[in-house]
Amino acid sequence: MEKFGAHRAWTRGRETASVLALFLVGSSQPSEDSKTPWNMSDPSDAAPTPCDQTSDAGLGDREISVHLLEMMLNLQQIVGDHFTRLTTRRRQGLSLEEEKHIQVICEQEDVINHTMCQIISLLWSEATVDQKLEEPLLSRNSRRDGQRAREAQEASRQPDRPARQSDFEASFVTHVLSNRGVDISVFYQSHFQDYNAYQRDKYHEEKNPLGFLNLGISENKLCTDLMTQRLCRNDMNCIEKDLLQYPDWRGQPFLREEVAWFLTYYCKAPTRLDPENVVVLNGCCSIFSALAMVLCDPGEAFLVPAPFYGGFAFSSRLYAKVELIPVHLESEITDDNTQPFQLTVDKLEKALLEARQKEKKVRGLVLTNPQNPLGDVYSRDSLMEYLEFATRHNLHVIIDEIYMLSVFDESITFHSVLSIESLPDPKRTHVIWGTSKDFGISGFRFGALYTHNREVASAVSAFGYLHSISGVTQYKLCRLLQDREWIDKVYLPANHSRLRAAHKYITKKLRALKIPFLERGSGLYVWVDLRSYLAPCTFEEELILHRRFLDNKLMLSCGKSYMCKEPGWFRVIFAENPLRLKLAMRRFSHVLKEQKYDWMVKQLEDALQE
Amino acid sequence: MFPLPQTECREPAACLSSASALAVGPGFQDDVEGECSRIAAAQRPELCGVGEPVAMFSSDSSCLSSRGRVIKWFWDLAEEGYRTYHTDAYDEDKNPSGIINLGTSENKLCFDLLSRRLTQSDMLWVEPSLLQYPDWRGHLFLREEVAKFLSFYCKSPAPLKPENVVVLNGCASVFSALATVLCEVGEAFLIPTPYYGAITQHVYLYGNVRLAYVYLDSEVTGLDTRPFQLTVAKLEKALQGANSEGVKVKGLILINPQNPLGDIYSPGELQEFLGFAKRHKLHVIVDEVYMLSVFEASLGYRSVLSLDRLPDPQRTHVLWATSKDFGMSGLRFGTLYTENQEVATAVASLCRYHGLSGLVQYQMAQLLRDRDWINQVYLVENHARLKAAHAYVSAELRALGIPFLSRGAGFFIWLDLRKYLSEDTFEEEMQLWRRFLDNKVLLSFGKAFECKEPGWFRLVFSDKPHRLRLGMQRVRQVLEGKSQLAEEGPPCQAQRR
Repeated sequence: MEKFGAHRAWTRGRETASVLALFLVGSSQPSEDSKTPWNMSDPSDAAPTPCDQTSDAGLGDREISVHLLEMMLNLQQIVGDHFTRLTTRRRQGLSLEEEKHIQVICEQEDVINHTMCQIISLLWSEATVDQKLEEPLLSRNSRRDGQRAREAQEASRQPDRPARQSDFEASFVTHVLSNRGVDISVFYQSHFQDYNAYQRDKYHEEKNPLGFLNLGISENKLCTDLMTQRLCRNDMNCIEKDLLQYPDWRGQPFLREEVAWFLTYYCKAPTRLDPENVVVLNGCCSIFSALAMVLCDPGEAFLVPAPFYGGFAFSSRLYAKVELIPVHLESEITDDNTQPFQLTVDKLEKALLEARQKEKKVRGLVLTNPQNPLGDVYSRDSLMEYLEFATRHNLHVIIDEIYMLSVFDESITFHSVLSIESLPDPKRTHVIWGTSKDFGISGFRFGALYTHNREVASAVSAFGYLHSISGVTQYKLCRLLQDREWIDKVYLPANHSRLRAAHKYITKKLRALKIPFLERGSGLYVWVDLRSYLAPCTFEEELILHRRFLDNKLMLSCGKSYMCKEPGWFRVIFAENPLRLKLAMRRFSHVLKEQKYDWMVKQLEDALQE
Repeated sequence: MFPLPQTECREPAACLSSASALAVGPGFQDDVEGECSRIAAAQRPELCGVGEPVAMFSSDSSCLSSRGRVIKWFWDLAEEGYRTYHTDAYDEDKNPSGIINLGTSENKLCFDLLSRRLTQSDMLWVEPSLLQYPDWRGHLFLREEVAKFLSFYCKSPAPLKPENVVVLNGCASVFSALATVLCEVGEAFLIPTPYYGAITQHVYLYGNVRLAYVYLDSEVTGLDTRPFQLTVAKLEKALQGANSEGVKVKGLILINPQNPLGDIYSPGELQEFLGFAKRHKLHVIVDEVYMLSVFEASLGYRSVLSLDRLPDPQRTHVLWATSKDFGMSGLRFGTLYTENQEVATAVASLCRYHGLSGLVQYQMAQLLRDRDWINQVYLVENHARLKAAHAYVSAELRALGIPFLSRGAGFFIWLDLRKYLSEDTFEEEMQLWRRFLDNKVLLSFGKAFECKEPGWFRLVFSDKPHRLRLGMQRVRQVLEGKSQLAEEGPPCQAQRR
């Protein structure tokens, strides 16, 4: 047990190290510039191409600290790998002596690692002393659980602390946060630094034409005009007593009623859905988080076909501490892979078997339909196969149908799991839907759970307190979902035709650039294959390309954040208004041109050297 | 009924009896569920200190996780109570013989003013940025307004900063997020009792954090000058007690103005408590959700943000919300103010799960900005109405000869009904509470606030005059009947529905 713990800790340690490395890439421009001279923008380009402007701020001491910090991180990683090899070479059939030996190694590992963490902390506080970095860093030991973490923490409180108390006070070494607090903070900030940068520097036609264009975050911005008009109508603004007082924490009865009607109609349920099976919370991520809490104990796991929506990773980790085990899908077409990234029961079985061999307790399967980021829609038959697989293994199935009304290609039929006449295991099938994507109102914070399992519904309801929606908002949502006439005759037709047009535009562009992509007819995104722009085709290169897009003020999402197995895939959102989409695509092709050009230069240099 | 597995339970008898006694519906305290779950927790010493409640729920028949079963148990107890009240809630026209709710702490006196203000045209604004993903800390325009608002009403010596503000969907969420980022699993916060019981659930659900009680007595002895007085000596003792049981205490929770006592801490006391926390490196979470509901100006209420020098500003975190002071518990708006950026950032990392609609954020900013309306219309009227309701209820209580505490803050009076209990037990307290409910009036009993002495009740007076009158009439009926009964002999079981 102990050694597995150690292994886990190391793995996490390395994650940490790579997170740190990420921060540094962002904050230590000078060192990066020397390696990669890409920041020049092509002056002949008609469109202004913004560059990263944070380059040369604050050199000197800080720079040294940054270098030292990088070296330390590197060292930490190497030492970590070494120990991992030492302790995991053989896991089975160890004699008592060997066990003891490994125990000793683990203890040494702890001591060394703890020391390194302190050094890193010190360097970090140096490196960031004159820089306004929002996120405090973590020490590696602070990401651990249980006894060892506490011991380490105690140790760091001993009087042998360095004299420079004030610097420490300013950094995370103060232990103001709990270990999990640090973990949450760093995990979140490391993934959301792009998002935060975007929030601070959004593109605006007049006010900020050099700001970030966002084709990274999945939002439908094509119908804000229709939505604004609808929300401004008189019927939306109602203040009743009940709306201002403590609600039913499952959601106001009038809203749950309306959600049940709405899903019955749009999911084509064979019988009327029951409002008692509906729980309403402030967003689908809250629903997922609550589900993970009540279906799994800490350390247990869900299977998820990858690539998958990265938000699941947050929601399972931040509060619930549930692991997601990816079922890796591949782009290549083979005998059993009739289309790219195809999900088959074989792959599910294999992944489950592997997980169980590693003694993981798998409690469920998470599916997204229509798929994000692939845009696939599961056929009724494959859906049934997946559900039956889950039933065979007593797994819960969480189906996220948040893009259900964003199927814009009329030739595609979407089958909601709620439309299935007899579900293989209704007590273990839980459906999530929200208005964020289909109605383009992610700022509304609304998500709904539909489950036949009252036990699960009750347990999730207990979280209503922490994930409640304002009564006023619940009222508006109810009015919106009620207005079938507007949805069917105004909103959906306009939304679909605008999505189609935007999709047509972007796919035409991609074809012109000779970039392969998955041609699908649902969702707000295309899954784009940029593997030919990576040399070599690694995740490091993917990250570099991703940063290059960012340097040019274009946000995209890279395959790594969807746990895609193959480096080089990107998700590009197209549900953006035509003007911005056009400008974004201009930045997109500019970056790729640069990337190709650099590659050629490098080839040339290599050839000359030979 | 929750199937509590008797064999697995550490104190099977206690757990089962309390669960069955409560199942009918204790849930009508504050925020309906919260405090009711609190009662559940109170029955299980494991929750408030050492031990792992999950161990109690290891039935295999469920498809929930172990923690899921504990969570569901919280909900079920609450739900039972919730249903009882909601199936028979009083309504002037539709159900005049329904239950009058003097249990839930909501201000229902100013709905007319609020609805008028919230339907004014400036509240109707819709723009695309409000409909899209926000800055998860809260829209900047709102955080700016909150900082200005708190600077003004808390009388802070220097202007408060928007970057220290985090906006969430209610104080429950702030408690939950703070517990998670400040404590490890199983660690604890100190809290003086009686206290607003819902906090137990807030810090437990996600955070798995416990509360360590600082028990206060009603009797005035020794250095105490008033009932239920909190002193540093009591804090020290409780901290030692928790430590000796192996519970690691990470912070102290103070509610000021106090709920359910209706009292406030003086600046001197506050400084002492903060000093205590600093000595022990404890965080202090100060819940000031009733800050503007001090209707007795002579009390001289001071927010912790008004103190010139905080002993440990990096560990002092202030909560405020519109739920009580603006009578909008259904709006779900709460805010954290902390100078500690690390804490603010960590809490903000969880805000994805505790966000509120952009349109509501806009409305809140408009409301908080409207200083004229707040000062000249709302607060004046609100305080006058609270005062009148308070005067009415206290006169009634005096006429009945019932001792009570209430110094002019909050929506409630803390009643001493000990003389109406034939025995000094919580079972008797529950019996009396049930008798109130049978007579269609809902109060909150002291156990829900983890009061050490049986026989205390919280009565909320911030309801419309005619309802209040009817409620008081029903209270009087029970007490007068009860006191007769007490003379005749112990109450019979038959009276339990």
